Amino acid sequence: MKPSSDPSRTYKWATLVCAVVAVGFLFAAAVRENISADWRRYQANYKKILLAKATDDTARRTAERFPIEIRQVTVPTLGAVDRCVSCHNGIDDPRMASEANPYKTHPKGLLKIHPVERFGCTVCHQGQGAALNFQEAKAEDYFWDYPLLPASLTEATCNSCHDPDALPPGAAAKLVRGKKLYFEKGCASCHKLDGKGGSLGPALDNVGLKTKHQFMRAQLQGSQTVWNWMAEHFRDPAKIVPASLMPAPALTELDTQALTVYMLSLRQREIPSEYLARDKIEEKYARLHPGEPDGKTLYQQYCASCHDTGLFTRWDKKFGRFVPGIRNSAFLKTEEDECLLETVREGRPGTRMPGWGPKAGGLTEKELSAVLGYLRTSAPFQDLPPAPERGSAERGKVLFNHECAGCHGTDGKGLIAPALANPVFQKAASDAFIAQTIRLGRENTPMPAFGRAGISEQEIGDVLAYLRQWEPKGPPAQRAGR
Amino acid sequence: MTSAQEFLKNLKETPRNLRESMLRVGHAPETDRERSQSTFHNLFLHLQSVRTHRASLRFSYTFGLGLILTASFAVLTVTGILLMVYYKPSTDLAYQSLKDIHYVVPAGRFIRNIHRWAAHLMAAAVFLHMARVFYTGSYKHPREFNWLVGLALLVMTLGLSFTGYLLPWDQLAYWAITIGANIANSPREVTDALGITKWFDVGGFQKQLLLGANYVGQEALIRFYVLHVAVLPLAITAFMGIHFWRVRKDGGLSRDVTAPAVPAQIAGRDLNVFAPTKTYGLMAVVRGRTPVVGRAPEGSVPSWPHLLWAEMAALMFTVALTLVLGYFSDAPLKEMANPAIPENPAKAPWYFLGLQELVSYSAFMGGVGIPSIVLIGLGLIPYLDRDPRGVGKWFGGPEGRGVFWRSLLFGLLSVLALLTFTVNFGWLRSWFPQIPQLFIIALNPGTVIVAVYMAWSLWVLRRSQSVRMSAVALFTCFLAGFVVLTAMGSIFRGPNWHFYWWPSQWPVH
Repeated sequence: MKPSSDPSRTYKWATLVCAVVAVGFLFAAAVRENISADWRRYQANYKKILLAKATDDTARRTAERFPIEIRQVTVPTLGAVDRCVSCHNGIDDPRMASEANPYKTHPKGLLKIHPVERFGCTVCHQGQGAALNFQEAKAEDYFWDYPLLPASLTEATCNSCHDPDALPPGAAAKLVRGKKLYFEKGCASCHKLDGKGGSLGPALDNVGLKTKHQFMRAQLQGSQTVWNWMAEHFRDPAKIVPASLMPAPALTELDTQALTVYMLSLRQREIPSEYLARDKIEEKYARLHPGEPDGKTLYQQYCASCHDTGLFTRWDKKFGRFVPGIRNSAFLKTEEDECLLETVREGRPGTRMPGWGPKAGGLTEKELSAVLGYLRTSAPFQDLPPAPERGSAERGKVLFNHECAGCHGTDGKGLIAPALANPVFQKAASDAFIAQTIRLGRENTPMPAFGRAGISEQEIGDVLAYLRQWEPKGPPAQRAGR
Repeated sequence: MTSAQEFLKNLKETPRNLRESMLRVGHAPETDRERSQSTFHNLFLHLQSVRTHRASLRFSYTFGLGLILTASFAVLTVTGILLMVYYKPSTDLAYQSLKDIHYVVPAGRFIRNIHRWAAHLMAAAVFLHMARVFYTGSYKHPREFNWLVGLALLVMTLGLSFTGYLLPWDQLAYWAITIGANIANSPREVTDALGITKWFDVGGFQKQLLLGANYVGQEALIRFYVLHVAVLPLAITAFMGIHFWRVRKDGGLSRDVTAPAVPAQIAGRDLNVFAPTKTYGLMAVVRGRTPVVGRAPEGSVPSWPHLLWAEMAALMFTVALTLVLGYFSDAPLKEMANPAIPENPAKAPWYFLGLQELVSYSAFMGGVGIPSIVLIGLGLIPYLDRDPRGVGKWFGGPEGRGVFWRSLLFGLLSVLALLTFTVNFGWLRSWFPQIPQLFIIALNPGTVIVAVYMAWSLWVLRRSQSVRMSAVALFTCFLAGFVVLTAMGSIFRGPNWHFYWWPSQWPVH
């Protein structure tokens, strides 16, 4: 049979070509995996470094026997299988202190107190421990929930096992600073942590465990990481989260980093207790058994974000209304303790003021009293002159719509001034208090002294009658008559 | 001969005897007769007949698609078994075992890539193979039942792919299967609308059956694993056996029996002799005509070497293709499955995205209604179209070719027009928010396009007075719809299943 008449010639050639391609690619894959893998190159170099550093025969023999193989640290209790040590061979060898990465010793001698075989790597550094090349171990643009933390932010994970405040001075400085900033800047006014804090923003308990997919990243300029989101968000919250009420906390770059570290450190991971530092356990205990509260500190942490010093009423652009000056002496003189406490405990529904009692904001009764004590430092309560008899609600309505509705709203729901048709206000404010406020106005706020503008006691009584129509229905409030 | 000499002789001859005992032939066959014998005597070779018709060997007739399917199934089996060695079907361990396959198992990542590409190839080839068989009229008498076996194989191929999708236990897997489970649940759309779910909950039952729970979890994973590595492969192997056997029993690959006999000439010998009435095959009574003993039948050539080399080429091509693709493109592995973070959009594998597009209009119609209509329609084709003409010719001749092109154009234009309309103006729910869901189930872009295609096919039937032409029209329309809807689902749908020209326009998050 002549080759030219062989009808399967084309197929024979096709088979041959395909077979050559198949074998070629099998070979290429073998080379790629077995010869040109990064970790092999690094280990070969490391072996050379070991040989160069060997001073005696024993060391030289050890270096010569250094096997080139995949290395991993397995810590089942922490769920870590970390192959980082396949490239970072000298990580716990003090002789490698002056070498370049990846051969270098771990800085600051931290592995002496955190032996790598007990802790692994990713427990502190995050990243994909399973990976065998740096790009995928770093995992920033990779499908991995917790990419490698930049060195500047690694302190975030210290908080998992340590109480930042109990660390030796200088250790985890950013974490300590971030935690301090969190309370100084009054973040807790709007965000809950361990059940304590306001409710205007989201709770932050596990924010360090969130992945980038749980953040709105449409406006993010830089890298698509959680920490970059934090940083850009701290610079301008409303730019990253449209219509955010959060004021920019005005931080230096270093403080931005510090606060980011603290945010990333907020994670409730199940960590076996043998890994927890003693102070961490004490910190948890202290949180359950708080000491004597300090009113001024509490005011700074939970109130100052909105009320500022509290000495003046301030106009809040984002809220679109006045925030009352609650440490203003004119206000305090007319406000009874119980009334104040009730407002702090329950908040003011219809306004941005959340409740701070044990159920809502997580403050204990003791702490509420401490806050009250601090407010009272400006002015004690002075006995109020009695209120006039409640008069005609109809006349009161006319007067209210004419004089008050401009700020308080015709429906009493409050425009720029506090809402009066608000159940907590109705419950807490006595007639005497309301009457006195109408008479004398409120210093340092736009509330004028109507008493001096010719409003009579009877007219005050009429307005009172009208206001009380907004009182919640049901059993008559106990304090309403006083 | 001493016993020692005999021992040495036997030892020396052992390789030859081993080969002979194994292959039942002592030496490589040299004549056609010996090749025929080898074919008979070998389990694998006897799958093909001793002689093959030249028309069946024409590349442009089959494009080797059946062989590519078989070959990719073989590749999948081999790589699948290798992956099984390391894979752990547990929600706690599955993802980590995938990572280990990726990073430390020798060639693990490569093997997984090959497995993934072979799966894509098999899914693509199964559609193309079906289209080839349809357009060459190869489903016709006596091959009707084999067409049904082929349909079963199509469904099982897609089932294998779907069950394999969950196993990596990553975000992609978790949310795609969650969607799949909701499709299983979709009869509820109807029962809810009728208010009878309380008594008659097919959807809930199907979902429970699929997942073993109300959500995608360990029960679902182990179920999918068993289906993927045992039940479906065994079933598909059995059905492939039936499929091949029927190809043989039904007279080999279809060909145009009305074509004028072309004298087959091999090495100058005229082989054109045919027994017009003989009905005995070599082993059994078979349908059709068989050659006179001692003479080659018209137009046929020995399967060895002609068919064998073609098969070898297809097999090697499949292996090489999957190796090349697997070398350059990694199979995706997203973050570990996390029920708290929904993927948006969560997309099924590409061959289901046409269905997912339909599901976005009505879960029931897209997930259950229309696929059932299509499958039943496909199954009925050989029983409705019994016209024996046109077998073995692409589109059955020039008239069919014309119907094919016109139907392709009509099918593409109508589905594109409908999608353009839907994307721009919405559908009933956007105009009448209060409309009962039953209306939407009955009247949505999916059912509308099915109705339009059916109308077109009826019109072709009336004009051509040929069931075959009408079938070509309908099949072509559905093919066009499938392609366009699949492209729509895979490329042009983004978060919340909104329309985007390109994935780069998707909003982040």
